[in-house]
Amino acid sequence: MLFNSYPFIFLFLPVALAGYFLSSRLGHLAPVIWLALASLVFYSVSNWQFVALLIASIAFNYLIGWLLISGRLRPAPRRAVLTAGVAGDLAVLGYFKYAGFLAANLDAMFSAGFALNVLLPVGISFYTFTQIAFLVDAYRGNVARYALPHYALFVTYFPHLIAGPILHHRDMIPQFERAESQRPDPHLILCGLIIFGIGLFKKTCLADGIQPLVSLAFGPATPTFDQAWLGALAYTFQLYFDFSGYSDMAIGISLMFGIFLPLNFNSPYKAQNIIDFWRRWHMTLSQFLRDYLYIPLGGNRRGPILRYVNLLITMVLGGLWHGAAWTFVIWGALHGAYLCVNHAWNRFGPGVAPRFTPLANVAAFMLTFLCVVVAWVFFRADSLPAAISLLSKMADPTNIAFGRLEIAQGAFIAVYAAIAWFAPNTQTIMGYDHQNRTVGQGLRAWQMRPLFIYATAAVLAFGILGIQQHSEFIYFRF
Amino acid sequence: MNNPGKYLWSFLGATALMMALAVLLNFVVDPLQLFRPARLFAAMYSTDSRMQNAGLIQSQDFDTVFMGTSLAIHFRQSEIDRALGVRALKLAMTGSNSKEQSFVLAAALQRHPKRVIWQMDDWIFREAPDVDNDVYLPADLYRRNARGIAGYLFSGATARESLWILARSIPPLQPVVARLTNGVLFKFPIAGVDDINALRSDFDVPGFYNAKNAMAAFKRIADPRRGHHLAEGFDYAAMVRRFEHDAIDLIAKNPDVTFDIYFAPYSILQFVAMRDASPKTLKIAYDFSAYAFPRLAQLPNVRLHDFRAVKEITHDLGSYGDVVHHSPAIDLKVLSMLADKKYLIDRAAPLATLDQLKAQVEAYRVEQ
Repeated sequence: MLFNSYPFIFLFLPVALAGYFLSSRLGHLAPVIWLALASLVFYSVSNWQFVALLIASIAFNYLIGWLLISGRLRPAPRRAVLTAGVAGDLAVLGYFKYAGFLAANLDAMFSAGFALNVLLPVGISFYTFTQIAFLVDAYRGNVARYALPHYALFVTYFPHLIAGPILHHRDMIPQFERAESQRPDPHLILCGLIIFGIGLFKKTCLADGIQPLVSLAFGPATPTFDQAWLGALAYTFQLYFDFSGYSDMAIGISLMFGIFLPLNFNSPYKAQNIIDFWRRWHMTLSQFLRDYLYIPLGGNRRGPILRYVNLLITMVLGGLWHGAAWTFVIWGALHGAYLCVNHAWNRFGPGVAPRFTPLANVAAFMLTFLCVVVAWVFFRADSLPAAISLLSKMADPTNIAFGRLEIAQGAFIAVYAAIAWFAPNTQTIMGYDHQNRTVGQGLRAWQMRPLFIYATAAVLAFGILGIQQHSEFIYFRF
Repeated sequence: MNNPGKYLWSFLGATALMMALAVLLNFVVDPLQLFRPARLFAAMYSTDSRMQNAGLIQSQDFDTVFMGTSLAIHFRQSEIDRALGVRALKLAMTGSNSKEQSFVLAAALQRHPKRVIWQMDDWIFREAPDVDNDVYLPADLYRRNARGIAGYLFSGATARESLWILARSIPPLQPVVARLTNGVLFKFPIAGVDDINALRSDFDVPGFYNAKNAMAAFKRIADPRRGHHLAEGFDYAAMVRRFEHDAIDLIAKNPDVTFDIYFAPYSILQFVAMRDASPKTLKIAYDFSAYAFPRLAQLPNVRLHDFRAVKEITHDLGSYGDVVHHSPAIDLKVLSMLADKKYLIDRAAPLATLDQLKAQVEAYRVEQ
């Protein structure tokens, strides 16, 4: 089921909310069970054939987690149980996500006639990572014993199930256990609706609105220099508004249930270097990769050379997590290389005189954005030759159209750039503080609040009116 | 907020009110002219013919429907009217298949036109998704059912167009809005119904339709490595099935309507490319004609015209932008040939033109 659909907004969400709050009269566990079941219904509407896989994954990981937490195992068997758990998760993910890719590459190398078409269960990358983190923390002794309904809800919780944010059990399960979360709070519902409305507007009006321009670069026609740039920039903004819109909607929906989700975006295109970019883009994935891959690999503890190697490995695997294709591998490797250069520059690069700092910041911002756009070409292209062909068009200013249409398209994209670069982001507008579990505090004292209410109502109204029949989120396919 | 419950209801009420206002605006302005012809506001039209046709069928007066693919898209209704003495409505859709064409024609036939002019070729009868699974065709809008009407009225995109048309209808704003309307932001940039998908007056016709472009396209598709592209959609059994369902059934259900069906004058290069790069595809094309022509010739309300063997057109490569798409001058010739019934198929010998075509294709040698 899509957040940007009438059945979700006008049927599923109201019923899920009503059932959640009404069932709290039956005790603390009933709302948790209700929400977990509602989440399974949400998932099964368009992925019914993979519901059993999701339930099996939950049961498997809960059992492994229970063994790790119970304290009955000695160190060696504990480690073996963890290894089995993580390997089991990765094997399932590997089969569904990478077996076809592996078969295609073996076929390309040996012409052996390997071909495997495996349907990808939506959300598998997200719920697998979420549970691997749980197992690793259980092994480290950082997990309390959770009841099965709470754990099942932590994995299936529908606002994040399909495309994140990637949740952490320590953040979520205590919130599910709080009795206050299970009582309707008009303030949280209002703030949740506003955040949902902003996210919906980003998706249906901004991301879907710019989507036709993406085909300038990634469509069947061969683009000119300016068309290639327009298409690449259009995709850059489409992806941002699509994914950050989804994350806003997830946060807003969850807030209506009294649950605070972690932030996933913090105006990434305002970043002045790549390290900063990755602290702002898909933040929960960055944190996951840092805590469960980069640091276990050794992080920066084994000298600068190994640090760079670890960065590259982490980013290549991060790229591969997005999809089983060489384009994603190159995208990850490119960002890994960017990060290495960034760290090396921080260490060895010259300082900037204070009077040149503003100029240097502008240059850093532009260079960072440029690097990100170039990398998105690999992320979006259907194949490596297609990506290289497009980049060659972007580097060939001799072939230029620059007609009336391209000027209009450029102006259109400039509006998107202005929003991404200069507008406050959702959490700033709403005063959303995930750590302190507060939101909308500034609104209480704000004299302009009726105007704000009506303006945000207009945003939600246009978000709903912008819903199109066939518009999935880009990150659903990861 | 001191009284969050009050603000929550205000928020929900304001959201509902704004949606209602947008619906009202869409209903009053009605950019597609689905409910009434434009009178209060300027009539504007979109190049997206699959969407636009739903409104044209309701808003225009016509006694003849003109259907086809990209080969028929640039015709001007005024020229059809002049050449054939009719009041035509052009409903051609680029890249359309027979399911789409039959569905749109059926909707138009509910307005009881006397005549249908239908540009056909083999390729429209390829397998295609049903109209309800066709993401490009708003089928419910043609059916005018609750779902279609709601989708049209509860739409921010329609509201944006409505606002734009509203602004364009205010005389002091008209010139500015007209200059800003370019089809990128606003999807209804055409002020005259005759101009929908017709080539603009500043279009470089000789620069686009010339022998060099036609030969370049031929070389592309005749490359043996691309032979499979030529074969795409050519499945004899499926084509016959679609032909029976989408063409024959529709024609048989409307015995009072005259169907002028013409097979478009592809350049000879299209068939030569098949001959050289994909002979099986050429055989399917021939076999399909051998099936379809006698079948159409049986129907009393069909006049079948075959322009594929009209040598003075199909061998004049300077009139083509690629191997199939002909210039506006050929559009006029097609109308003139329809009016003169010069290439009308003889019901007693429906395969005569096919035999001529086969001989021409066999004999043709490409100049290197």
